[in-house]
Amino acid sequence: MSVLLDVQDLQTRFQVRKGYVYAVNGVSFQLDQGDTLAVVGESGCGKSVTMLSLVRLLPPAASIENGQVLLRGEDLLQLNLRQLRDVRGGEIGMIFQDPMTSLNPFINIGTQMAEPLIYHRGMSKSEALARSAELLGMVGIPDGEARLREYPHQFSGGMRQRVMIAMSMSCEPAVLIADEPTTALDVTIQAQIVELVKELRDRSGVAVIWITHDLSVVAGIADRVIVMYAGYIVEEAPVDALFEDPRHPYTVGLMGALPSLAGETGTRLTTIGGSPPDLVDLPDFCPFHPRCPYAIDRCRKENPMLEPVIDASDGGHRAACWVDIREVELEAGAAAGSV
Amino acid sequence: MTTQEITPTDDFGIAEASRTNLWKDAFARLAANKLAVIGIIPIVLLFFIAIFGPYLTPYDFLAQDFTARLAAPSSEHWLGTDELGRDVFSRILYGARTAVAVGLVSTAISLIVGLIMGSLAGYLGGRVDMLVVWLTDMTRSMPALLLAIVINLTLKVPLEAWMEQMYLATKNGFFRQTMWVDLVLVFGALALIQWPGYARLIRGQILSIRSRNYVLAARALGMPTGRILTRYVIPNAMGPLIVAVSAGLGGAMVLESAFSFLGVGVQLPIPSWGKMISDGLRMWQTHPYLLAGPAVMMAIITVSFAWLGDGLNDALNPRQWGG
Ligand SMILES: Nc1ncnc2c1ncn2[C@@H]1O[C@H](COP(=O)(O)OP(=O)(O)O)[C@@H](O)[C@H]1O
Ligand code: SF4
Ligand SMILES: [Mg+2]
Repeated sequence: MSVLLDVQDLQTRFQVRKGYVYAVNGVSFQLDQGDTLAVVGESGCGKSVTMLSLVRLLPPAASIENGQVLLRGEDLLQLNLRQLRDVRGGEIGMIFQDPMTSLNPFINIGTQMAEPLIYHRGMSKSEALARSAELLGMVGIPDGEARLREYPHQFSGGMRQRVMIAMSMSCEPAVLIADEPTTALDVTIQAQIVELVKELRDRSGVAVIWITHDLSVVAGIADRVIVMYAGYIVEEAPVDALFEDPRHPYTVGLMGALPSLAGETGTRLTTIGGSPPDLVDLPDFCPFHPRCPYAIDRCRKENPMLEPVIDASDGGHRAACWVDIREVELEAGAAAGSV
Repeated sequence: MTTQEITPTDDFGIAEASRTNLWKDAFARLAANKLAVIGIIPIVLLFFIAIFGPYLTPYDFLAQDFTARLAAPSSEHWLGTDELGRDVFSRILYGARTAVAVGLVSTAISLIVGLIMGSLAGYLGGRVDMLVVWLTDMTRSMPALLLAIVINLTLKVPLEAWMEQMYLATKNGFFRQTMWVDLVLVFGALALIQWPGYARLIRGQILSIRSRNYVLAARALGMPTGRILTRYVIPNAMGPLIVAVSAGLGGAMVLESAFSFLGVGVQLPIPSWGKMISDGLRMWQTHPYLLAGPAVMMAIITVSFAWLGDGLNDALNPRQWGG
């Protein structure tokens, strides 16, 4: 498999009244053609900002301070706005968390879906509409031609997310970034959306970056997983290695917080005490230490780098932790996940 | 092509009953609003009179009948005649023309200026935004009538002199009609007074709309800025803008009357309600009908625009659009 997307040492921060918020702090990862990468972590850990940085869709207060985003070897951070627009939607499609507000309420579905096809593919309006009707069929919305004339408020949340998926895939991008696309949806519909993306991926060969704070989704869809905390990647591994042999206490905590298969929401992640830090200073300590049951003195003085783990079952398994958690017997009740 | 296993089960039928256009929904809501509908009638009538008034008037607005000066209302002169024996009813009908022309033209100018300035400020942000905000604050801090007087005092004489020169140079009779100077000054003053309101409205709309998810989604699809503005931002700002324009039209007409009242409006011979009111005021105790006609018209139109504006506000409020 060849590397499609190679992100190197990405750093993004926000200018705020009293200095900076360090949202992304040296994130590096690779995405192979046709692969699916899951990005997990609690809310506020920098997942969205990382992805928005790739195509520079950041709010005005944000700036990318360092890094490279190589798509087939070409650095997206060096492109001018015109070139970047061709990448957005054309090479990298995105879908977002809230399908209820992701469609323009004033324009009918057909016109909205036709826009990128006209713009990126140079289709005529009627060609674009015909293609849009087809795309609706592909994402499981029958009767496409009639539905194209409807407005977003005539679609349910799940339907709107299907429309968003159809739009983001319409110009056959090489990468689809899905930023918590199911978080706002009912559980049964979540599963349908996951199935839909898998199905489209397998058919088109698009590489997928699937952002979620829900590890239970990851096992079914991802080849590899990145765990983010406080703007850092704290663990990265093939999906099996991550589930069988997690090495970062935060990952263990997330797993301890796996919701039951019945899908009770609201229970996830609540078993790690505390919450992610404000990112107002770059830490010279492990950002997880205030919540970490394994923490040692060194954790409070030095921030660990992301490095290959010892005795890895897979070469691509890396973690950022001073402690080999396999060697530590935690006292009863102190295990990560029940602090 | 479509696979069976992903056939969705979630609600297809949502809002099935209302498969109509959003604008139609808004129109239905407007039609259900009694005050708005009552307000529309005089406004439609006003525009009708403005267009066809000259064909409806029993007398020419300039026709002076010295035998019937200051005549009381009668079957001949429905609303009486003024000091010069001109038919008041005819002049009111012509005054509608002035009111509508002033309202439309000054609103159009201030809207265009406001749209450009507001869009630049909202979309570019930074220094441009600060400059536009400062300009609008400056303009809005000056009293409207004072502004009109200052403009009139400083520009009227040079403009008239320029017109005279142009006439001498071209021998084109157009340049002898000094009423155009009046109109330009009135339009200019009204536009100057009104553009900041539109600019601030547009700026606010852009700031709020551009942070919405569908704009992010459109940008993520590579849509260029211009297209996002015309397809996403402007249509979404349309509701508040229509409301503001409705209020602005009424406001411009009232302001023009105030200008005329102060002697910096459209000068005779073009009839203007404001001018008629100020003339009528001098004799209101002896000849109240001179004041009553234009004043009542002005009041009806003002109230009508206010009601229509309220109705539009409710009908176009996007929060009710379920989107
Ligand atoms: N507009 C903004 N201004 C300041 N800080 C921001 C802004 N947007 C996001 N952040 C900060 O960036 C960090 C990462 O946010 P985000 O990437 O959205 O997290 P996630 O997607 O993992 O939930 C958060 O700590 C958040 O406070
Ligand atoms: S470095 Fe220390 S504090 Fe950080 S995760 Fe590892 S053990 Fe915990
Ligand atoms: Mg996010």
